[in-house]
Amino acid sequence: MKHLLFPIFKWADHTWVANWIRDSTWAFALLEVFHLFGITLLLGTLVVVNLRLFGWGLASHSLSDVASDALPFTGWAMVATVISGSLLFASEAMKCYGSIPFFIKMGLLATALLFTFTFHRRLTKASQPSPASKFAAGLSIVLWFGVGLAGRAIAFF
Amino acid sequence: MGTSIRESIWTFPAIETVHVLGLAVSVGILVMLDLRLVGAGIRHIPAADIMHKLKRWYLAGFAAMFLSGILLFWSEAEKCYRSPTFRIKLIFLALAGLNALFFEIKYVPTMRTWDATGITPTGAKLVGWASLICWLGVIGFGRWTAYGMK
Repeated sequence: MKHLLFPIFKWADHTWVANWIRDSTWAFALLEVFHLFGITLLLGTLVVVNLRLFGWGLASHSLSDVASDALPFTGWAMVATVISGSLLFASEAMKCYGSIPFFIKMGLLATALLFTFTFHRRLTKASQPSPASKFAAGLSIVLWFGVGLAGRAIAFF
Repeated sequence: MGTSIRESIWTFPAIETVHVLGLAVSVGILVMLDLRLVGAGIRHIPAADIMHKLKRWYLAGFAAMFLSGILLFWSEAEKCYRSPTFRIKLIFLALAGLNALFFEIKYVPTMRTWDATGITPTGAKLVGWASLICWLGVIGFGRWTAYGMK
C-alpha cells in the first residue's frame, strides 16, 4: 500500500524548491519558525472555540460570536501551517517516507481537516451548543493535538 | 544504563511536546487578546472577557510551558548559556513580561470602561502590538535555539 505513494515522495524530494531548502542554511529553520507560528494560532483559537462548545471559557458569549471571531484566524493559521509544512516535507520527503509518525500524522491531519470542515463547522454555526457539541469539541481537541504530537515525533523517531 | 538511555530517548521529546502544546494554548489565546487590542478581526469578544474568562486556561498553558521549559533548559543548560539565540529569546520573554505588567497596571483597572465604548486607548493598542512582536520573538528565537543545538 505504502509503496504506491512512493512516486509522490520521490517527486517532492526532487523538486527545485526541496533542493533549494536543503542547500540553504536558513530556509529550513525559518520554515519551522513559521510552522510553529501557525500551530500556535491554530491550536489557540481552536481551544477557545472548543471550550465554548463545552460550555466553558467564553460561555457568556453566543457560540456564533466566539466562532466568527476566532475561526477566521484558525483558517489563516491553517494556510500558514500547511504551506510551511508542505515545504518542510518536500525538503525531507525521503526521511518522511521512512517515518511511521509521519504517516500517523497525515492520517490524523486528513481526519482532523475533514471533521473540522464538516461536522465541527456545522456545530459552530449554531447560536447555542447542542449535546453533540461536547463530543465534537473533545474529538476536535484530540485530533488536532494528536496531529501536533505525531508531528513532533517525526523529528525524533 | 539501558534504562537511562531509553528514558532519555522518551523524556526529552515528551517534555518538548508539552512545551509546544502549552505554548500553543497560552500564547494562542494571548494572541487573540492582542488582536482585539490592535483592532484586528476580533469584533464580538471584549478584551476583558478574553483576559478574565479564559484566565485559568491560558494560565494552565503558561504553567505547562514554564515547567517544561525549565526542565529543557536544565538538561541543556550549558548549550543554552552559550547560545546567542537563547539570550535573545530570554530578552523577548522579559520584554513580554514587562509589557504585560505595564498593561496590568496602566490599562486593566479601566478596561471595562474603554472596552465597552469600543475605543481602545492608543497606549493599549501599542501594548497589543508589542506583545505580538515579543511573542513572535520568543517563539522564533526559541525554535532557532533548538535548531542551532542539533
